[in-house]
Amino acid sequence: MTTMLERSLKYVDERLGTASFARRALRKVFPDHWSFLLGEIALFCLVVLVFTGTFLTFFYNPSVREVVYDGPYEPLRGQHVSAAYDSVLRLSFEVRAGLLMRQVHHWAALVFVAAIVIHLCRIFFTGAFRRPREVNWLIGMALLFLALGEGFTGYSLPDDLLSGIGLRIFYSVTLAIPVIGTWVTYLLFGGEFPAGDIISRLFVFHVMLLPALLIGLVVLHIFVLVLQKHTQFRGRGRTERNVVGKRLWPEQTFKSVSLLLLTTAVLALLGGLVQINPVWQYGQFRPFDVTSPAQPDWYIGWLDGALRLGPPWDLTLFGYTISEVFWPAILFPGIAFGILTLWPWIERRFFTRDYAEHHLLDLPRDAPARTATGAAGLMVFFIMFLEGGNDILGVLLNLSVEAITRDLQWALLIAPVVTWLVTFWVCRSLKRSRVHPARINAGLRLRRTAAGGYETTPLDPTSNPE
Amino acid sequence: MDVDRDRERQQERTADQRRAERAAAAAFTVAILAGVGLFVVYFSGGQTQVEGVLFCLILGGLGVGVALWANHLLGAHEAVEERHELTSGAAGREAFGHALAEEVGPTLARRSVLVKLLAGAGGALGLALLLPVLSLGPAPGRTLKETPWRRGIRVVDETGRQVNLNSVPEDGFITVFPEGHEGSADAQALLIHVPAGSLKLPPDRMEGVPEGTHVAYSKICTHAGCPVGLYRATTRSLLCPCHQSQFDVLRGAKPFFGPAARPLPQLPLGVDEQGALIALGDFYEPVGPAFWDRGKP
Repeated sequence: MTTMLERSLKYVDERLGTASFARRALRKVFPDHWSFLLGEIALFCLVVLVFTGTFLTFFYNPSVREVVYDGPYEPLRGQHVSAAYDSVLRLSFEVRAGLLMRQVHHWAALVFVAAIVIHLCRIFFTGAFRRPREVNWLIGMALLFLALGEGFTGYSLPDDLLSGIGLRIFYSVTLAIPVIGTWVTYLLFGGEFPAGDIISRLFVFHVMLLPALLIGLVVLHIFVLVLQKHTQFRGRGRTERNVVGKRLWPEQTFKSVSLLLLTTAVLALLGGLVQINPVWQYGQFRPFDVTSPAQPDWYIGWLDGALRLGPPWDLTLFGYTISEVFWPAILFPGIAFGILTLWPWIERRFFTRDYAEHHLLDLPRDAPARTATGAAGLMVFFIMFLEGGNDILGVLLNLSVEAITRDLQWALLIAPVVTWLVTFWVCRSLKRSRVHPARINAGLRLRRTAAGGYETTPLDPTSNPE
Repeated sequence: MDVDRDRERQQERTADQRRAERAAAAAFTVAILAGVGLFVVYFSGGQTQVEGVLFCLILGGLGVGVALWANHLLGAHEAVEERHELTSGAAGREAFGHALAEEVGPTLARRSVLVKLLAGAGGALGLALLLPVLSLGPAPGRTLKETPWRRGIRVVDETGRQVNLNSVPEDGFITVFPEGHEGSADAQALLIHVPAGSLKLPPDRMEGVPEGTHVAYSKICTHAGCPVGLYRATTRSLLCPCHQSQFDVLRGAKPFFGPAARPLPQLPLGVDEQGALIALGDFYEPVGPAFWDRGKP
C-alpha cells in the first residue's frame, strides 16, 4: 500500500531523477543570523509586487489620449484628463479593493528598495563580496539598478502632475549627457518633451523588460548563492570549510514562510491605512503646472537633493555646452555607483592586497578602511537626501531653503571626511579592545585585583557574539 | 542527579511547547476570523482601510503561527555542512580547453581569411540590428532651439483668451502661449507686469517690453525644465519649486540663487493695432535645460 505522496514522488523521480537532488537541497544549511534575512525580505517584496502589479495591469491603460473624467471623484469631474490618469482614478475609486492593491504595490516598492539597500550594506560592511563572491556582487548591483528603474518607471505611469514633473527632470538629465544626450533623449522619449509615446514606453519597460531582467537576475543571484554556499560570521565550530546553521527543511522553510507572511502582512497594513501617492490630489499632468513642495519617492531623494545642491556652473567648450545638471546628476552618480560596483576590486587593489577566498565574514571593525569608506559614502547620500527635502525641512525647522542649502553644501564638503576619520578611529579602537560595541556590559569581566583596584577583561575575546 | 535535571528540562520543554501550541492555535484562529471578516467586508461594498487591516490579520496570524511553530515545536537542530571545492582545477580547465580546441582550433588557424569575414559579417548583423533603434525617435534637428512663437503671433492665456496690456494687474503675472498652441510645453512663458521704470535691461532687450512694464520670460527652468511657477512680488523674483533656482525679474531673469546657470530666455513682445499683445519673434535664446549643441546655430 503506497501513499499518494510516495506514488507521485516515484512518478516524478522516474522521469526527471530529482529525488537525490531534492534530498540534498532539503539539507542545505542557512546561517542563523537575522541579517541574512534582509535579502529574503527584498525577495518577498518582489513576490508581492508581481502579484499586486499583475492586478493593476488588468485595469491600467497606458495611453495619453484625452478623455473627460466622469467618475465618482467630484473635484475632477468634467475635466480633460489622459486615459492613463483616468484608468488610475477608476482603479482607485471604482474597482473594489483596487486602491488597496495600488497602495500595497507602492509601499512594497518602497520597502523593496529599502531592503535591497540594507542587504547591500550588510554585504558591504561584512566583506561578503570578497572572493569568490564578486560575481554575485555584480549581479546584486545590477538588481539594485533594475529596482531603481522599476521604481521610477512605475512612479511615472499614473500621468499625474507630480510624476510628470519627475519625468520632466529625468528628461533634462538625459539631455545633459555630453555629445549624445539629445539623441538618447529623443530615442528614449520619442521626441521633444512631452512626446506622446513616453507613457506607453514606460509601461513596456515597467511591466515587461525590467521585470523580466529583474526576475532572471534574481534567479541567477540565488543560483550562485546555492553554488557557493552562504558566508557566516565567526564563531564556535565555524570555519572557512563549513557552514553552520539551520537546514532548509524544516527549520529555514518555516522561518522563511513566516517571514514572507509577516512581510506581506506589514505591507497590507501600510497599503490599507497609510495613504500613498494620492494622484487625485495632484491632478492631471499639464506641462505648465507645478506643485510645491515636490518630493520624489525616497530612493530618488538623493538625486533630487544633488540637483538642488549642485553648483550653477555650465561649461562651454568649442561652442558645445556641458549642462550644470551634468555634475550632480550624471558625473556624481557615475563615480559613486562606479566605485560601489567595482569595490571588490578597488579594495583588493588599493587596501588589502587580499586575493584569498573568504567564507567567514568580517565584523565592520575588522576592516576600518572599508567601513570608514562605506560610512562616508552613506553620509554623502544622506546629506543629499536631506537636501531633497529642504523645502519640507525649512517649514519644520523654520529656516529658509537658502540657509539649508548653503549649510548642506558645506556639510557635503566636511561631513564625509569627518565621518571617514571618526569611523576609522572607532573601528581601530574596537578592534584593539576586542569589545562588541552593543554588548560592552555582557562581554566584560570585572575583576578586583589584589591591590584593591578593578580591571576589566573581555569574557571571551575570540568568539563572535553571534 | 543528571537524570533529574534531564527530566526537569524535558518538563520545561513540554510546558514551553504547550504554551507555543496554544499561542499558534490562537494566531491561526485570528487568521481564520479575519478571513471571514474580509469576505463580509468585500461583499458588502469594500472599504480600503478595513480591507488592509483584515488582510494584515490573515497574513499576520498565519505568519506568527508559523513562526511559533518554527521556534518552539520543531526543535533546534544545528546543522553543519562541509564546503566543497569550487574550482574544477587546472586539469579540468585543460580538458575543457582541449574539448573546445579540438573541434574548431585547426580551422581557426588555417582559414584566417574566413574567420575575418565571419567577424565582419557578424559586425554587419550587429549594426543592422541597431537600425530599428533609430526608428524610436525623430532626429533632434532644431526642435530644441525653436518654439512656436513667431513675429506677429498673438499672446493668449491657457484657455485661448487674448491678452492685452490690461490683462495683468501691476505685480501680477500669468502664463501665456502663442495663439493656437495653448498648453504648449516649450512655448509657455510668464508675462509679468512690473512697475514702470523698474526694469533694468539692455536697450535692445527693452524693445521687446511694451510700455516698459510687460516683460515675458520662458516659464521653463533653465536648470532641469520644471515650470517656474512661483513669483515673489516683494523681491520681483521667480522661484522654481523643484530645485529652488531663483531669477531676478528686473535684471533679465538672471539666476541669483540655486543650481540654474542661465537666465530664463526673454520673449520679445509688442502691441498690435487692436491693442492686443503679440510676439516680435521667438525667444532670444533656446529655452529650457542645456543640451550639447545648444550654443551652435
